[in-house]
Amino acid sequence: MTIIKKFETVEPNKGFGKKYITVAGAFLFILMLAQVWASNNVITYGEKLERLSVLSRSLNLENQLLEQEIAKNESLVNIASQSAKLGFSEPESIQYIR
Amino acid sequence: MRIFLIKAFFIFFLSAIIIRLFYWQVIKAEYLQSQAEKQYFRDVEIEAVRGSILFSDGSVLASSNPSFDLYGLPKEIDPDQKIKVSYTLAKILLEKPEDIDALAGELVNKLEQDLYWVPLKKKISIDQKKEIEKLNIEGIGFNQASSRFYPEGSSSAHLLGFVNSDGKGNFGLEGAYDGELRGIAGTVRSEKDAMGLPIMIGNFFTNEARDGKDLVLNIDRTAQFIVENSLKKGMEKFGAKSGSVIVMDPKTGGILALVAYPAYDQLKYFDYPKEFYRDPVVADQYEPGSTFKVLVMSAALNEDAVSPDTKCDACSGPVSLGGFVIRTWNNKYQPGITMKEVIIHSDNTGMVFMAKKLGLDKFYSYIQSFGFGGPADIDLQDESSPEIRPKVEWREIDMATASFGQGIAVTPIQMVRAVSAIANGGNLMEPHIVAKIKDENGRVFEIKPKVIRKVIKDTTAAEVKEMMVAAVEEGEAKYLKLAGFKIAGKTGTAQIPVAGHYDKDKTIASFVGFAPADNPKFVMLVRYDEPSSSIFGAETAAPTFFEIARQLLLYYKIAPTE
Repeated sequence: MTIIKKFETVEPNKGFGKKYITVAGAFLFILMLAQVWASNNVITYGEKLERLSVLSRSLNLENQLLEQEIAKNESLVNIASQSAKLGFSEPESIQYIR
Repeated sequence: MRIFLIKAFFIFFLSAIIIRLFYWQVIKAEYLQSQAEKQYFRDVEIEAVRGSILFSDGSVLASSNPSFDLYGLPKEIDPDQKIKVSYTLAKILLEKPEDIDALAGELVNKLEQDLYWVPLKKKISIDQKKEIEKLNIEGIGFNQASSRFYPEGSSSAHLLGFVNSDGKGNFGLEGAYDGELRGIAGTVRSEKDAMGLPIMIGNFFTNEARDGKDLVLNIDRTAQFIVENSLKKGMEKFGAKSGSVIVMDPKTGGILALVAYPAYDQLKYFDYPKEFYRDPVVADQYEPGSTFKVLVMSAALNEDAVSPDTKCDACSGPVSLGGFVIRTWNNKYQPGITMKEVIIHSDNTGMVFMAKKLGLDKFYSYIQSFGFGGPADIDLQDESSPEIRPKVEWREIDMATASFGQGIAVTPIQMVRAVSAIANGGNLMEPHIVAKIKDENGRVFEIKPKVIRKVIKDTTAAEVKEMMVAAVEEGEAKYLKLAGFKIAGKTGTAQIPVAGHYDKDKTIASFVGFAPADNPKFVMLVRYDEPSSSIFGAETAAPTFFEIARQLLLYYKIAPTE
């Protein structure tokens, strides 16, 4: 007696592709969420940046004023005036030593 | 028919809508886009800081100082309070309390205008701003600006010039180097939210500001201070109408000090007449008088027309020439005077003799060779250069008077540059105030010394130098010489031409010289206009010259050699 095996076609493994698409999709979704989260965080940094800019301008201004104060104090006009007040005077005679 | 009318009606209005849309979306597209950008873009200007002007040792001569412009918002101030606010502000802003009514009146007029914003006062200091802020006045605000700051005071006004309210440099170094000092403003363009704050993930465009370049000068801070003080004292002592001193390094052409009085306050330049702004050292012309003799002598010796021992055979009395009579300054004559003695005693008749020996062609050529008749090309704004009449127009009397420095006009910078050629062995140098230009990145551009031409031989320069040393040791200024130092110099007393003749009571008294004579560290010209205590250079300019020279020799640690 001839036994005829029933020929069954091999069906493709649909589970394998679906898995990768799901993982990729989930990954993209997480990335999107991360982007939204990062944008939401960074979007409020404008206020911090503005505060830092104001602080930077204020410090620069202070620096300039201090430089001005230093220049004024080390000016010869000021040094001559201060030294006169302290009793310094021009030398009356100069001795040259060889 | 009715259907047709309805159709026409709809077509008409459809066309009108399409045309209107075309107008707004195509024709007005750019305008609407710019309006939209204004709403969501914020532009912040980054001001460029004007460059500093530094002495040779790096200390500050002029720099930018943060200041504030005060403004008012008239519609936010209660009308009943405007007068009170104006007086309150005027008390803080004024230095002199007696001017308070005038300023308060001015502020009231501005605040009573039917405007949203009015400027009240420019360039107020940070201290004034803090005082005003403490009062918490409604409708008053500040914009940050910058103004110039001069830690050494305003005595270097002619050297520096000033910066006007538009930030443009005028006269002096601020004018000559305005392009380098000014810088280029930048902008930051960012997307802004409803609160006006920048959106970090939005678009951000930056155009960096480029600050102005700094100038490092040849000017020595101590030399400038010494010259300013000495000239100021001299102006008071000799009662001069004006005075100037220029000190130059003969080897490099670098200007070590430059002062002129009367000066002006660069921060309040608008309170002074415009004549004050010009630097007399580069812009004023004058007849140099006997100081010019050393240059004519150099020419004659260089051409071997005379030698130091040549005797004048026409110097026994006044010289008549072309209907004029030429005398010596003291009406004393020395028959057979040598050329060296002509310089020592400043003998005009000896100079006429020498000029004749030289001849007009060579005389004229050497005047040009020494740099007269053209600009000295110093790096200051508003230099002038008096013209020398064409040679064909010169008569014998013109050459004769020019030989002792009358009838010819020069500027102080031309004079000191020419005498520098004697000091350095014969080279005419290009004078320079600025030694280096530095940008914000630290790059340095050096301005190197420039020899324009060789005017006289080394041997000629040495001979004239010895004559000038003898003039100091044996001439009119011999009582002023500094013991132990060999200084070369020449006095000058030039009458001032007034309405076609010379005024015998008004002179320009000057002294030009260099020290130490054998290895000159500096050349200096001192000039007084119309000194009232004495008309002579030997009694006015010479004492100032020696006083400055004494201090400079000490400062440069130059010991006496004799």
